[in-house]
Amino acid sequence: MLRKPLFLAALLQLTLAFAPLEGGKYISRAVHVEFFSSTPAEDIRANNFAVTGTIDPATGEVVFSVPMQSFEFPIALMQKHFNGGDFLDTKTHPKAKFKGSLQNRAAVDFAKDGTYPATVVGEMTIKDKTNPVTATGTITVKGGTVSIDSKFPLTLADYGVSFAKGKPSTNIAKTVEVTVKGAFNQE
Amino acid sequence: MKPPLASDHTPVRTWLRRVIVAALVLIGIGGSYAYYLYSRPHRDVVATAAEEAVDAADLVNAFLTDEAGANARYLDAEGESKVLAVSGTVARVETDLNGQPVVLLLNDAMKAGVRCTFDPATAADATGLVAGQQVTLKGVIRAGAAYDADLEFYEHAVLEKCSIVQL
Repeated sequence: MLRKPLFLAALLQLTLAFAPLEGGKYISRAVHVEFFSSTPAEDIRANNFAVTGTIDPATGEVVFSVPMQSFEFPIALMQKHFNGGDFLDTKTHPKAKFKGSLQNRAAVDFAKDGTYPATVVGEMTIKDKTNPVTATGTITVKGGTVSIDSKFPLTLADYGVSFAKGKPSTNIAKTVEVTVKGAFNQE
Repeated sequence: MKPPLASDHTPVRTWLRRVIVAALVLIGIGGSYAYYLYSRPHRDVVATAAEEAVDAADLVNAFLTDEAGANARYLDAEGESKVLAVSGTVARVETDLNGQPVVLLLNDAMKAGVRCTFDPATAADATGLVAGQQVTLKGVIRAGAAYDADLEFYEHAVLEKCSIVQL
């Protein structure tokens, strides 16, 4: 008579043992990345809504893969310059990559609704150049969805974006501001 | 009646006037051309005919088997990459953070799918699509499919400014 409940309890324990406490990676294939360049000559914004990213609650690893041709500019000519060989050469390097880790993982409870400050330190690879990047922002957990909101500066010269020729040097800021927003779910 | 001012018609003045007029015309042409380049609109992908028709699975495989070759074939150096008519099975319809519908073409036999973000002008058409439906969607390719070792999964190919070619 006691066997069945015991068996069920054992099964439950086994299930719990094999299911990692925090589950798998949180994934989004529609992260929004904006970059903003401000100079006295003009302000330029470009938006990308097709970035893929993962957040691993167990290790704190954060990864973003950015399809570079998805950046849209208000002016068609700017978009052509951005993609072209003098700037990001997106035909040869169609994706940029960020790989980092959440520094304060212990302070973020992915299982509990709330807003947590976050600092991610990692490496950004654009074209074939890799540089260290530190980004701060917030992680908001609500009903199983993890939302992020972060801003960080990016120095274009670090990625071999040349200012050797004419106009862009006066119209594009040396350091642009990158904003990242996304809603991640476990799949 | 005053006599006309003789100095107005000296050869030097006439020459100078011509040079100034020519310079102004050149500045005007140059400025207009610069403005023309600057203000030229984006390519209207919805109004552009597909350059190539391809099955979603074949497009994905082209990138998975030869990434460099597929990038060279489909992507453009200035970002005006190929406008493709891609046929496949609707797996789901989502909305991105820009409020645009995104149709994922994917079936069980494919390692990665094709994500098609609709254009504001065609967004309403996407709402009628349901999972399992066979469709042909047209859009500009932004990136191919790829396995990413850091993400630990296959990334879908990205098509944007999409519209429905055939239901």
